[in-house]
Amino acid sequence: MRIEKCYFCSGPVYPGHGNMFVRNDCKVFRFCKSKCHKNFKKKRNPRKTRWTKAFRKAAGKELTVDNALEFEKRRNIPHKYQRELWTKTVEAMKKVEVIKNKRQARFIINRLKKGKQLDKEEAIISVKKNIHLIRAPHAGKAKQLEEKMLQKLEEDVVMAEDNIDPMA
Amino acid sequence: MALLNRLAKCKSMHLACHALRVDATSFTQHSAFSVSAVSAAIQKMTRVRVVDNSPLGNTPHHRAPRVIHVYTKNGVGKVGDKVLLAIKGQKKKALIVGHKMPGERMTPRFDSNNVVLIEDNGNPTGTRIRVPVPTHLRKLEGDYSKLLAIASRFV
Repeated sequence: MRIEKCYFCSGPVYPGHGNMFVRNDCKVFRFCKSKCHKNFKKKRNPRKTRWTKAFRKAAGKELTVDNALEFEKRRNIPHKYQRELWTKTVEAMKKVEVIKNKRQARFIINRLKKGKQLDKEEAIISVKKNIHLIRAPHAGKAKQLEEKMLQKLEEDVVMAEDNIDPMA
Repeated sequence: MALLNRLAKCKSMHLACHALRVDATSFTQHSAFSVSAVSAAIQKMTRVRVVDNSPLGNTPHHRAPRVIHVYTKNGVGKVGDKVLLAIKGQKKKALIVGHKMPGERMTPRFDSNNVVLIEDNGNPTGTRIRVPVPTHLRKLEGDYSKLLAIASRFV
């Protein structure tokens, strides 16, 4: 018993689910659900249909080259049955699954980091542009001007005193 | 003289036109198997595709092999039913190993109506079946075990 892969969406086809189609060149196509089957009959290319895994991998949105993914590839060499090999393989599969999921998640997070940075920059630009919604542009300008004038007057007074002193 | 040159040019252009016109007959192919639309599985007069390597099934004939009788209670043949074919002017029994009509949910659907030639005692006429054969044929273990034995691929 094998969990096959849907030809169109690359999802798992569990036993008891989906359809199978055999083409006249003896190529077998499995589908997980009628959605995939119908899209296939419409001759849609899975590498161009955005929601499929084939598109995501082809467009670089998901992890493609990784050692953890090499384990899933089909091997056509049969092995003689050995119990230790079997049990060790099952344990290894569990570990590999964990590692693979972590790596895939990490890949996506790294891909989306750039977006966060861009978001921040955009936010700063938009705040600068729309600062008039937060704070009135000439708020406190009058008081500033007053203070400046006061300061100037004081300076003038000081200057005048300086001018007076040497004469005395 | 100038007129002659002009005529010569016209003619060469005309020839070029002829050369560019594509030969339509090269595109029409004679299908080696039945390619008509989906019907109610296999019935009388359906053209079928023989998928074993028997000489009777593989030598070309100007008429495709046709079903002339279906050995079921109703005249409809599904996978595992015996039929009578008319091939190369002779009558021959055959077993249906795949049809274009969607069947049970967990059985494969094929792109052509496939058939394997058989003798009267149930032995296959050919020696190999290269085309994939559905696994639910295995329940015919007793009658057609020889046929299952020569199948290379189950699907």
